[in-house]
Formats: sequence, structure tokens, C-alpha cells
Amino acid sequence: MSIEIRLDKRIASVQILKQFENLLEIKVDDKIYQVDLMHNDEGIFSILNKGRSFNIELVPQTNPKLYTAYTLYDNYDIEIIDAESRYLRNRSGSTQLVSENTISSPMPGKVVKIPVSVGDEVKKGETVITISAMKMESEYKSPIDGKVMIIHVTEGSTVDAHQKLIEIE
Amino acid sequence: MKKIQKILIANRGEIAIRIMRTCREMGISTVAVFSDADRTSMHVRYADEAYHIGPAASSESYLNADKIIEVAKKSNSDAIHPGYGFLSENAAFAKKCAENGIKFIGPSPEVINQMGNKIQARLTMIAAGVPVVPGTTESLTTEKDAIDTIRQIGLPVMVKAAAGGGGKGMRLITEEKDIVSMVRSARSEAKSSFGNDSVYVEKYISSPHHIEFQVLGDQHGNTVHLFERECSVQRRHQKMIEETPSPLMTPELRLEMGKCAVNAARAVNYEGAGTIEFLVDNSLNFYFLEMNTRLQVEHPITERITGIDLVKQQILIAEGHPIAFKQEDLRQSGHAIECRIYAEDSENNFMPNPGRIYNITQPLGLGVRTDGYVYEGYEIPIHYDSMISKLIVWAENREEAIERMKRALYEYKITGVKTSIKFLERIMETEDFRSGNYDTNFIEKNKAILLEQTKCEENCEDMIIIAAYIEHLDRLNIAQTSKEMYTAQNRWKKFTYQKNFERL
Repeated sequence: MSIEIRLDKRIASVQILKQFENLLEIKVDDKIYQVDLMHNDEGIFSILNKGRSFNIELVPQTNPKLYTAYTLYDNYDIEIIDAESRYLRNRSGSTQLVSENTISSPMPGKVVKIPVSVGDEVKKGETVITISAMKMESEYKSPIDGKVMIIHVTEGSTVDAHQKLIEIE
Repeated sequence: MKKIQKILIANRGEIAIRIMRTCREMGISTVAVFSDADRTSMHVRYADEAYHIGPAASSESYLNADKIIEVAKKSNSDAIHPGYGFLSENAAFAKKCAENGIKFIGPSPEVINQMGNKIQARLTMIAAGVPVVPGTTESLTTEKDAIDTIRQIGLPVMVKAAAGGGGKGMRLITEEKDIVSMVRSARSEAKSSFGNDSVYVEKYISSPHHIEFQVLGDQHGNTVHLFERECSVQRRHQKMIEETPSPLMTPELRLEMGKCAVNAARAVNYEGAGTIEFLVDNSLNFYFLEMNTRLQVEHPITERITGIDLVKQQILIAEGHPIAFKQEDLRQSGHAIECRIYAEDSENNFMPNPGRIYNITQPLGLGVRTDGYVYEGYEIPIHYDSMISKLIVWAENREEAIERMKRALYEYKITGVKTSIKFLERIMETEDFRSGNYDTNFIEKNKAILLEQTKCEENCEDMIIIAAYIEHLDRLNIAQTSKEMYTAQNRWKKFTYQKNFERL
């Protein structure tokens, strides 16, 4: 059975061909790999491929099909696209990613200021919310010319990473 | 001479733990204080006693002088160590400590005030024969006065707030037509940030080196310096890497700057550990910039090359002991480098990245020290500084120290939050850093190399995809109890299990 996995912007299809204990033969897109794979319950993977050692850690995100993968220095967004999420994707006609007109916070923090209210007309590039985290304030700007439709948070409230803040149309 | 039995540490995070470590070695009990956001912080777990002092916002907890003194009295603490930041350079707090019979580990309130006001500090240094950046020793009064003075010094100049710090109330003026408006805006920013609108002018030194000297002074008039620290690798006016000895330094310059540093400290009868910051230009002219009347973040590199525990010296000096060594006893042995590990996204304008630490593996081995405070499962609060750890290495010489730092950064694994580790490792590889030929412009100059997108090749991407696939199958196996639907089992556990049997 093959499933699709998204790594940042790339979508690859994966399939196990053979398994003997920790030795696996796996097909990724059209390449076939023989790997020696060991992992534990905490998401730490050690993979040996033709003698090369890969150290990978998977950290689960809030949604069970989303992970952040860490290699020695880099990190990647991972999404498992199985039958269920493919169905949802097709039905909504677009990706599950938040729409471009929604401003969300890339990190946890505290809302310092919201200079706009629902119904306000905003210009592209206009600051619509200021978030403070670790003594640094970041301003988030409107991606489009439009109208503020929904404000999900209030001044002084704390926000989680990837939380929706403001929607503009 | 009163022996200190118990110290309250009016700080959090790595520096609180750093101070407690020395207290433990000296047989002194430790008292931690914590805000709502820090109940699970490591400094609370490490201390002998810990007391809650207020809400998460630092203004209502770590900056609440009265509350901290109340806890110090309740816990019978003899002394308060302020660490760095928070109340460490707050003269009113130092005064309150004294009024309540608690020893403030640091200089007197008068000295803190004198050095805290930039204009007064400049005057003191000029009187002590220490070179200062050319400029005014009085605050600018009228706009005409500003134009005349700035013409005299010559553009470009920096206008700075007398009560300043942290880049607030600071303006760079390069053109004559901007003088009036820039002075005006510096003044209004100074007013709103510090409640004091007095500003002064300094000649602007482009791409200087930032070199500081560690000093120690006791209550008996003895003052020594513990050599320099090179702190020119900075981003957003914040230091990222420090090293000692400085690659720019010559024995003659060290002698001269060291003498000035000691004179500067003597001029105010300095007590405790302090730092004299200098700007040094490429022709090795040096100028006094400011004095920090506290322990610095980067103090461990000095400890590493001199073998002296600075926190222990602070405590002994506070107890009234004379410094046990003379200037001529001090030696710089080998080379030390410190890298600051920040929870931040280096590729996204160094945006802070708080969150939950999933896994952490700290580097070990010869010549490596880490001063940190986060642990697995710890949620880094959004309210405080983004520095989570300091990595300090020592080696016989600079080349070896750089290689060792690279090795230690390679070993350092933190998942769950983004960190500056990769960025730091790239710095270790740049030509400018390796040759020691760098100034405060280093990060800006090397930006292209430091931020280069070198994601791993496709082969490695495929390995991540394989890992994600296996992880996903594992989850399905747990969710669907129907046995062995997929054959990918957790081999790590089984491997350990089998190995245990083989040993029997």
C-alpha cells in the first residue's frame, strides 16, 4: 500500500516492498532504497543507507498527521496524506493550508496591539496586529487590500503557534 | 567579616543556576524566586528554597524590588545576588537592600548611578585619564547648540540618551540637514523610555571592535583586571559570540587597556565584578564606551582562561575579603569561545521561537562547558529572554578552540523549538571569523554566506520521508489493535530486549 507524504513543498509517494526485522526495502517515488532503520517511541530514528548514517527526529504537531522533522541542522514540515486527508483535500478543492488572507502567528506570544476593528478597510502592507514574544515585538501586515472580516483574538491575550489571528477579505 | 550563609538569587534561567552552583560549592544555601510562568523552571528545582513572587510579567515579579526584599527577609537570606538584567543595575534596589540589612552583591548604589548616567560616566573617565569617544560632556540644550557642537565634532555622529541603554534614544546622523529632526526624535524617545530627555553627542566610529575588560575590586582598595573579551559578533546590538584572548589584541595594547580599565574602576572605588566596555578602531585606538556594574553573560570565557570563579570572587568580596591574588599572578591560559544559543529563527530575521523542548542532547567531552536551564518537556515561556543556553569551549589555541566549538555545536541537539545552533556553526566556518579578521559589522557583511539555504540533498530528504512513513505506520498499529496489520515494528525496543538476553 503506498501513501503520500508532503515534505515542505514536495509530495512523495512511499511504499514498503520488503521487510526483514529492521532491514527494509522501501520505494520513495521511483527510487528503491535498502535501509537499516531503528527507532524508538520518542520519534528518534537512526537510518543506515549504504553505510551512511542519518539521524532524524520527528516531533508530532497538534494535528496527528503533521510533524516537524529535524535532521542534524535542518527542520522540515511533514504531512501524511492518507486516504482520509486526500478525500478532504479533494472535497474542499484546495489544500488544507490556511488561506493567504488569514494572518496567523508563526510562534507563541502575546497580543500587544490590534489597531483595526472588524469592518475596517485595510491596505496591503498595513499593520493589523502586533505580537510580542521574548521581549521582541513583531508587526503583522495585511497581505491584501481588503476588509477585516474576523478578529479571533483580543489585546492582551496569549496565542499559540499557528493560531489564526485575523481574517481579511 | 561576616560569612554569608544564605543567598537569594533575584533572577531566573541559566544565570540563577550558574550562581547557585558556586553557592553549593561554597556551602551557602540558595533561595530562588519565581513568577507564575516559572514554576517549572530549572532554577526553582535546583535551589534549596523557592518562593513565588508574582505574575509572569517581569515588571510585576523579577523587577518587584519590595516583594523580593520581603522574601529575602522571610527566608533569612544574608545577601541578594542580582545576576544580570532585571534589578542588577538598579541603584534604588541596591539602596533598599542596604536599608533592610541585606548585602547586595555588587557595587554601591552611588556607583551604579554614576555609571548608569552616560554623561556622568564620561566625565568620571575623562578625570581618570581614560580615553572616551570624542564628543560632548554636557547634554545638548538648544537646537543651535546641537548644530554648532555637531559641526565641531564632524559628521557622522551618534546622538545618545544620557540615561540610555538597549539602543533606545540613539540616532546616527550622517547629514547636516537631519541634525535638528534627529536630535528632536532622540530626545522624545529618551523621554518616553527613560523619563529623561537629556542627550549627548559622540563621534561615530564605523565598524568598531567591541572589546571589554573584566575587573574585580574589593573593599580594601585592591583592583585587578582579568584581561579582555572580544564581543564583536553581534546581531541587533546583541552579542552572539565572545572569545578571549581577542584576535585583534597585542601585548602592548592589552597592557595599556588593562591599565585604563583598572584606573576606571579605581576612579569610583569599585567593589565587586564589573566590566569596562571599549570601542577599538582598526588603527587600535580605543575609547571607553560604558561600564557594566554587574556580572556579564559572557563571564565564563574569562573564568576558563584564568581559572578563577567570578561568582565566588563576588561573594568573597561581598563578605569583606581582600582579593587573594595580585595582577602579576594572573595569566591567560589557552583560548576560550562562547556561543549563545537562542531560541530563535535565524533565517527569519532572528525572530524568537518559544515553545516546548522535545528532546535535548547537550555536548560533552574535553574542554566543553554548557550553562543552560532548559530540559526535555520544558515549555520556554514567552515572557523572558530567548537565550536558552551558553556553550563555552576551551582549547590550547584559537584554531583548536574553533574546531572544538564546531564539534560541540554538531553534538548539540535541541528539537521542539528553532535555535541559533546552525547559524553559529556557519559563523565558525566563515573565513573572516577563522582568520580573526572581524568587527561589529561581521554578521551584516557575511549575511549571504550565513543565511545560505543548504537543505540536504534528495537522498537525505527521502530518508526523512521514510522515517515519517514508519512513524505513521506505528501510529496505525497502536490505533488498530488488530495485530500486525503492517509489519514495520518498533525494532529499537526489541533490539534492547534481545541484547539483554544475550548478556545472560
